[in-house]
Parts: sequence; C-alpha cells; structure tokens
Amino acid sequence: MRHRRTAALLTLILSAFLTVRLSAQGDLDRLALRFSSMTAVTGLEQAMTDSLRALFPGSVRDRAGNVTLTLGQGSPKRLCTCPLDEVGYVVGNILPDGFLLLRRVGGARTAYPLLDQQLEGHRVTVFGTRGAVPGVVAVKSTHLTRGRVGPGAPDPVFTVDNADVDVGASSAAEVEGLGIAVLAPVSLTKRPQLYGERLLAAPSAGRRTACAALAAAVQSKPNVKGTVVVAFTVQSLYPTDAGPGSVKAVLGPFDAIKTAALPARYADTAVETVALADADRLVREIVQWMEGK
Amino acid sequence: MRAVRDCVVALVFLSAAASLRLSAQDSARVAEAQTVLAALVETYGVSGAEGPVREAVKRLLPTWAVSSTDTAGNLWVRVGQGNPVVVIVAHLDEIGFRVTGIRDDGTLELENRGGFFPSLFEAKPALVHTDKGDVAGVFLPRDSGFTRRTPSSLRVDVGAKSRAGAVARGVSPGATVTMPKQYVRLSGTRATGRSFDDRVGSAAQLLALRRLDRAALKHQVIFIWSVREEIGLEGATAAAASLGTTPRRVHAIDTFVSADAPLELPNFAVAPIGRGAVARALDNSSVTPPAYVDSLVQVARARGIALQIGTTNGGNDGSVFTPYGVVDVPIGWPLRYSHSPAEVIDLKDVVSLADMIRAVAETW
Repeated sequence: MRHRRTAALLTLILSAFLTVRLSAQGDLDRLALRFSSMTAVTGLEQAMTDSLRALFPGSVRDRAGNVTLTLGQGSPKRLCTCPLDEVGYVVGNILPDGFLLLRRVGGARTAYPLLDQQLEGHRVTVFGTRGAVPGVVAVKSTHLTRGRVGPGAPDPVFTVDNADVDVGASSAAEVEGLGIAVLAPVSLTKRPQLYGERLLAAPSAGRRTACAALAAAVQSKPNVKGTVVVAFTVQSLYPTDAGPGSVKAVLGPFDAIKTAALPARYADTAVETVALADADRLVREIVQWMEGK
Repeated sequence: MRAVRDCVVALVFLSAAASLRLSAQDSARVAEAQTVLAALVETYGVSGAEGPVREAVKRLLPTWAVSSTDTAGNLWVRVGQGNPVVVIVAHLDEIGFRVTGIRDDGTLELENRGGFFPSLFEAKPALVHTDKGDVAGVFLPRDSGFTRRTPSSLRVDVGAKSRAGAVARGVSPGATVTMPKQYVRLSGTRATGRSFDDRVGSAAQLLALRRLDRAALKHQVIFIWSVREEIGLEGATAAAASLGTTPRRVHAIDTFVSADAPLELPNFAVAPIGRGAVARALDNSSVTPPAYVDSLVQVARARGIALQIGTTNGGNDGSVFTPYGVVDVPIGWPLRYSHSPAEVIDLKDVVSLADMIRAVAETW
C-alpha cells in the first residue's frame, strides 16, 4: 500500500512537472509564433512595441521607441536586451496608375544577396493608417517571357528598384483611400511555418524567437539578483545603433549586458529557421543569468 | 505543440476571414464567384495529383448534374442531347513539383511539373502532399550562383536529418510539392492567389452550370474538367481521342495571360483586367478561324456581356481536338503575373466568363 502511495505521489509530481514544462514550452512556442508574425521595420516598430507594452504592464517606451521593463532593485544593475527590428521597406512613391514603389530600410547589414528578390511575385503587406493592406509585387508572366529571353542573356538579381507593388488599385486616389501614403511600412506577408521537430521558419525568426525567449523568461517571474533592465530594442539595424545605444545612455551604466540571440539556419531569408528547443535552452539561460547563477 | 497548432489555426482562421471579406459594393454575382473560386484556389492539385480539386468541383456542381471520371482522371458532365456536340473544357491542375529522390541528409530532390520560374519558390515555405497528409517544410535557399532566374535545382527541407527521417514523415518519391496558398481579396473587385490558372476556368464552368437553362439547349454540351494540362495537355488529349470527330466545336476555358502589368511589353496580350472575358483568338497552340471569333462577339453582344479580343502566349486544351476536325474557340480571362505565387484577377471578369460560357452553351 505504501509503495502504491509513493508511486501515485511520484506520478502526480512527475505529471505536474511535465504539465508545467509542456505549458511553459507551449507559451514560448506561442510567443515565438506571435512575434514572428509581426512586422517591425527598423525605425517603424510601433505596432510591435504596442503589443509588447500590452504584454508587459508596467513597461515603458522611451523616446527612441525601445520598450523597457525594470525587474528587481539594487545592485548589480544589469541589462538584458534583444533587438526586435527587421530589415524592411517603406512606400517611396505612389504612381498615378495605383502601383507603389519601395525603398529598403536598414538593409546595410544583410548578408543574403537575394534579400530583395524574395519579394518578387509574392504577397506583401502594406501597413496603412487604416490597417494592413494586402498587395503583391509584380513579376513578369512566365508565358510572356517565352521566346524573348535567349540563352546567356543577362540575368541580374532583382532589387528593390524593380519592385512594383499592386494592391489592386487603379489610381493614386484609390491607394490613398486605402490609407496608404509615402513612408507606410511594407514587408513580405508573414506566414511562419512550423516544420520538423519544433522548427520555426519565418523572416527574422532568429531575432523574434530570441525576443520571445526573453519575454518568456520575464513571464516566468525569475528571482532577480539586483536590478535587471529588460529592453526590447528598436533601430538596431541603422549604423548608429540608436535603439540599444540610447538604452545604455539613458538607463546605464550597467555592470553587465546580455543580448538574447539564437543560432539560425537560412539566415536573412524568408525561411530563416530556428529550433524552438534552442529557445527553451535560451529561456533557462536568461533566467539563470537574471538570478545571478 | 497542440497549443501552437490551435494558435496557428486561429491565425489562419482570422486571416482567412479577413481575406474573404466582401466589399459592400459586391454584387451577388461577384460574391458567388468569390465563394466558388476561393474554395478551388485553396485546394491543392499539382499535375497528376488533381484528386482533391476534382472532388471539390464535384461538391460544387448543381445537384442535378451527373458527373463521371474517365480513366485519365478528367471529370465529365453532359448536358442536353443531339448534335452538334460542343465541348467546354477547363483544367484542374496547377504547376508545382514532384519529389524525385531523398538525399542522405533528408532533403528532397524535386522536378518541375509545368513551366514557371523556380526562383519564385526558393527560400519559401513548402508543403509536401503525401498519402498521410501534408508535410510542412521549406524550399532551400541557394548558397551560390546569385542570379535572378536560374537557381540550382530546388530542394526541400522537411526537418529530417536523414533519408529514414524523411520517410518516417510519410515522404516518398512521387509525392507532389507546392507552397501554402491562400485566396486574398485586394482593392475593389480584385483578388490574388496562386493557381488562378486554371481554377478561374474551373469555377466559371461551375457558375455557368448553376445558371444554365437546360431547356434552352439545342444540342449536347459536354463540360470537362481536365487533368495534366500544365505538363502537355495530357488529359484533354485523352478526352479528344475518346470523342474523335463527334464534336463540332471546343471551347478551352483558360487563362488569357495579360500584359496589363508594369513589367510587360505592350506589343500584344494587352487585355486589361476588369474589362471582361477575352476571346483568345491566337496563342502558341491554335488560331481561331476569324468567322468563329465574329460569332463569339455576336453571342456576347446579344447577351450584353463584356468581351475583349486578343492574342497571347501559351497553349490550350482545345488545340488537341483540332486534328479531329473540331474547331477550337478558346475563351479566357485576363490574368496578371501568370504562374507566380501572386497571380491577380478581377472578379468581374470571372462573372463575365461564366456568362459567356452559359451564352455559348445556350445560344450557339
């Protein structure tokens, strides 16, 4: 009877542990998926930072746009940060026939030579003042190129200067009626893909999942040693590094700084892939760091 | 993982609800066209694996319609009786890939099914369609040879680390591969999606059948939804052979690839979207006798249907009937960005196309 009770108790503890672990994993996966679905073109991250502020009551947005949250008190004073912005596009011009032209924002640091080419013939989302507007980037019809392109013809890479965005409008006035103006952020339409054993593919999946890991670590309510300033930073893809720099300047100095980051496969592509198991480890690592272990 | 799946389902549901929103100005006809078309567009059917699309068409047929499937896989509906027999044909299949092998590292080797720019699939989400269901993956980005159109042959990563791992996920050579797709409404009556070619034709035939005045038919009309058009008009070839010299005319209901787009040359194919169906009077596979084009125009005028006349590139299913003495009078609708993941149409043209099919069946 005693053995049976012990076994029952162990089962209860194990299943509770397992439930907690699976639940925490589910929370992380949900956050990673949610963050990867969002668009935060560098310098124009407000929609995502609004979402983070709603997620973390008590957080503040500084003048640069960074979202910060202070945990604990006293010393040491440390900073744990993750950059949430991404290379993206803005509307640069609206043509009389209703097509939009783009300019890239924050692309100086990308390594993938076909970054812009990923737009060609694909859906994009234009973030207008009246909400998200679906569009597509024009591509030549396969059929109409037949017989017109000889073997060995020049085949230069598609760049943002080749991108005509079609939102279905026939005039500039119709575009304006959709709430689209010059400077509206534009990105490939985000459709995160889960595949294999908890692999997540999406544009900027590495950054977003690292931010999700930081968010999950905060949500786990760690027993913080001293003070930890948590910062979801903006404008990290400009040469001035304005977002992270301003956090350090305004809220520092810090005794230590940790930046949440994850290894990613197919980096800078629309299918940048992270293993959510790596994110599990990152959450544990951040919690231990916050607790001074 | 279940929680994540729920979250994904919720996201898909929300985005689907947004994508299917009907504008307040939509007529009932445009709304019906959208409902039928969206159901077909969001069903997968690479050439040779059209089963799901064929079943979707069968579900959307009017209740009175009796359908049959031939050995090639074409779906047939016969209406009316007597000569001259007229055939109306749209194709079920879409472009995509087929798995040809699995490497030791678990990645899948592919071959194209149909003509398109493989570069448009590179570094994008992938779906492998297996007997056990769809397996998610990604099309690998290239790591060298950075040009616009000529990637090294594409492969897919399904997250397996070995051939055995991929097989354990249900993947085997012969499985077809696409990318996830969604019907999405654009401004006004325009919409985007992948495989409008030729789900619009398939939808228009359904819409025409739903409104067909069967009592008005003076002869038999055979509606066919064909297979394997994109890899050489194979389904239509089998249908044409089985009908031989019996039909008088065939109307291929297929895309009119339009130059109404910023990157196209305006030499020909200039049929703007939103201005109605198109008499596809000349393409790479057939030429319609001018007298038949004139007759088609008269049919359109008599019914007040918007019809454009043009010449474009590509082949059509009707062309394989012509060696049997059958006249091919193809009818299309203008499409931007053909065979890309982001084709664009105007729903008004779908309505116009359905009306043309109905008029041809009832009055010509």
